[in-house]
Amino acid sequence: MHISTNPWVWIAAILTLAIYSFLYKDNPFYKFAEHLFMGLSIGYGAVVLWYNSIIPRLWNPLAHGTSPSRFYLLIPIAIGLLSFGIFSKKYSWLIKYPLAFSVGAYAGFSIPVTFEASIFEQISGTILTKQMMATPWLAISNLIMFVGVITTITYFYFSKHHKGLLGKSARTGIVFLMLAFGASFGYTVMARISLLIGRMQFLLHDWLGIIK
Amino acid sequence: MGFWDRFLKIDRRWVFLVVWIAVVIPLLKPLGLPTHITPPVKKLYDYIDRMEGEDKAVFLSFDFDPSTMPELLPMGVAIIRHCFAKKIPIIVYGGLYPQFVGMAKMAIDMAKTDFPDIVYGKDYVFLGYVPGLSLVILSIGESIQGTFGNDYFGNRLDTLPLTMHVDNYEKIGIVVDLSGSSIPASWVAYAYQRYGCRIGCGTTAVSAAQYYPYLQTGQFVGMLGGLKGAAEYEELLERNGIPTGRRTATIGMDAQSVVHLLIILLIILGNIGYFYVRRRERRA
Amino acid sequence: MILFILFSTITVKAFDTPNDGGGSITIKAYNVPETVKKALVYRKTEGDTTYTLAGVMSILSYRYVDADSTIKNGKPYYYRVDFYFPDTVISVVSDSPGIAYAQWYDKSKTSSLIFLIVFSTLVLVFIQLAKKDPEGLYIRKIPALDAIDEAVGRSTELGKPTFFVHGLLGITDAGTLAALTILRRVAKKVAEYDTPILVTNFDPIVMTASQETVKQAYTEAGRPDAYNEKNIIYLTYEQFGYTAGVDGLMVREKPGAIFLQGYFFAESLILAETGHSVGAIQIAGTTAKEQLPFFVAACDYVLIGEEMLAASSYIGREPVMLGSVKGADWGKAFLMGIIGIGVVLGTVGAILQSAGNGALMNVFEKILAFF
Repeated sequence: MHISTNPWVWIAAILTLAIYSFLYKDNPFYKFAEHLFMGLSIGYGAVVLWYNSIIPRLWNPLAHGTSPSRFYLLIPIAIGLLSFGIFSKKYSWLIKYPLAFSVGAYAGFSIPVTFEASIFEQISGTILTKQMMATPWLAISNLIMFVGVITTITYFYFSKHHKGLLGKSARTGIVFLMLAFGASFGYTVMARISLLIGRMQFLLHDWLGIIK
Repeated sequence: MGFWDRFLKIDRRWVFLVVWIAVVIPLLKPLGLPTHITPPVKKLYDYIDRMEGEDKAVFLSFDFDPSTMPELLPMGVAIIRHCFAKKIPIIVYGGLYPQFVGMAKMAIDMAKTDFPDIVYGKDYVFLGYVPGLSLVILSIGESIQGTFGNDYFGNRLDTLPLTMHVDNYEKIGIVVDLSGSSIPASWVAYAYQRYGCRIGCGTTAVSAAQYYPYLQTGQFVGMLGGLKGAAEYEELLERNGIPTGRRTATIGMDAQSVVHLLIILLIILGNIGYFYVRRRERRA
Repeated sequence: MILFILFSTITVKAFDTPNDGGGSITIKAYNVPETVKKALVYRKTEGDTTYTLAGVMSILSYRYVDADSTIKNGKPYYYRVDFYFPDTVISVVSDSPGIAYAQWYDKSKTSSLIFLIVFSTLVLVFIQLAKKDPEGLYIRKIPALDAIDEAVGRSTELGKPTFFVHGLLGITDAGTLAALTILRRVAKKVAEYDTPILVTNFDPIVMTASQETVKQAYTEAGRPDAYNEKNIIYLTYEQFGYTAGVDGLMVREKPGAIFLQGYFFAESLILAETGHSVGAIQIAGTTAKEQLPFFVAACDYVLIGEEMLAASSYIGREPVMLGSVKGADWGKAFLMGIIGIGVVLGTVGAILQSAGNGALMNVFEKILAFF
């Protein structure tokens, strides 16, 4: 057993225990850790943004740069400053401009690639090809996938009553959805336990030095 | 009140306690359960392995914070160790959000202990945070130097041998994104679809199910899913004689297996109890 | 002699990399024997007397993309590739110089363009139709919508507050916009029943929008005096800080109804589980498909993915939302049609191909390649 002498490890361990104490019931230790976490996360985010974004990207080029193109930076600064209109009831409408700019730009560069990555590639992955039927096992798997895709899409078809064939297909779709949720839930158990294992390894290895 | 009634109304804190015991005992007394390698992990390992001697770098992006560290950090450490051992140049990127940088720094520090001959700037470069999210992924396609300017330590990228040579996706053999969020899909959309750069993914078990379709269509070269994926990569390093350091993921897998058995048991008992009580109430 | 014949078959071509913004030349080698261990690419341009190393060609694809920053559009570059065999090296020069150009149109994106035009047209047409007659466009009712009134009613009976927890994405996310429409319905019911509401926000801009939404709902319910801006609070912009904050509030305030609406990440189960533990009736809605299993397991009602957008269109009858849902429905029908046609073509094509006629299979493969 080699208990850590690093004060930061001790702080981390005590805060871990304080958060875990919530599992028993809500208490002042948990509340303290919760508020500390929220405050720290805001502070940390602000400092990192300041030193990694505003200073090197805006202040340094404008204050110490020599390139004439550095004054182009004033345009996004001006658009960005409009966001602060939110603090005034009279000028809160100004925020529409930076929002419109970011929504427009984001939609412009994301829509085509999203079509390709999430729709076209997945469609060509769903269309059954000869290779996908190469072995009986592959054929069964891919047929199930094909039926699953079609019936699940019909569940999300909102323009018609789910009656008749559409209703049957949508109900089958729900079965596929629930199966997928079950698989996903199983994975989540693994993920959550991993987090607990990680913290236990920290407490038992890094802090208390009980395990190698 | 019968056994099943009491069982169904059991104070959840007892469940927490039993799960805690099931985690701690295997950590104290490891069972040494074997690790089987699954195809998605093997594919990613082999792809990186084949890059040895090629003129391209691995780009490893750390897009996670301490909340998913137990699953994703061992993946990052293992991949960096793989590259260091095979002398495959690697650019470690501190992620698209400011709070991710610390994870990348920690992984590099953990990985480099067994590789004293690795030279910063030549064998690896560490890039810090720049704002822009998806725009950063697009911008790397144009120029890494133009996107970042300096590395994490403030060195100009045009003075480091690695980034003088590797300036966009053309010289990047694979981007491996470690994240439990939707960020790997952004790498597929912007780096793979736009620039044709191959993508690998290390993700949390929560998100693994979501990413199997990308694996099926070949949009991901390979994938590490959760602690199990990390343990498999550590196992592959071990089998190939690459120093693994403390195999945190493998150590955790014993506890993982025991807890899974416990949870399966609880689900079965819970369902038996539920149906038993319901049947009894209907009869009554 | 045999070796010479083998080597002499290798050819190297240098050409402009297609569909790019220029500044790049692709070098491709053909008929390369498998015994090659390494291939190095060298480049020179007009005025150079010697070749300089450009890079290493992949021996898997025998393709190298030279995107060096010195490459200028319109200028000819000459390439030589040295192929390393176990006992010899052979140099092959490209049969013509490569010249880089910028392309105005990326042909590989044609399928995206077509779908974008079709989809956008559908959405725009339906938005226009919705503007003319919002009630004329049919959207099926989502069962979870009835549960909103039930949840707020039960919360009132118990004398407990109603919580509305926003997801983690900003105002640009469609799920967040749908959540705001649902918030309007919830806040209106809360105002009618005169029960307290607490709205937690992850994003400051969403908070402002929430304040406006709740204020409007209270006005619509005829209770503008009961609106309290302090009930719409901002917590933090950190994922688990937000989770800890919401969890703490749930445990302390013990709400009777909880609405978890918007885009959630790993915190979904933690929030839903805490809400369940305090005995609240929970209605979740998210477009984050990977988080749906947890909401399904821990909540009473769930708006699954696009159902959330449909529900908000059903409530709000807002033309843009309504038109988008209808347009998306047609888009889905279009895609299902493509998948169906693809399967029929692929199956019939494979049968005909095995009978000796590969024409249909070629058409099928061209369609697959188009995507």
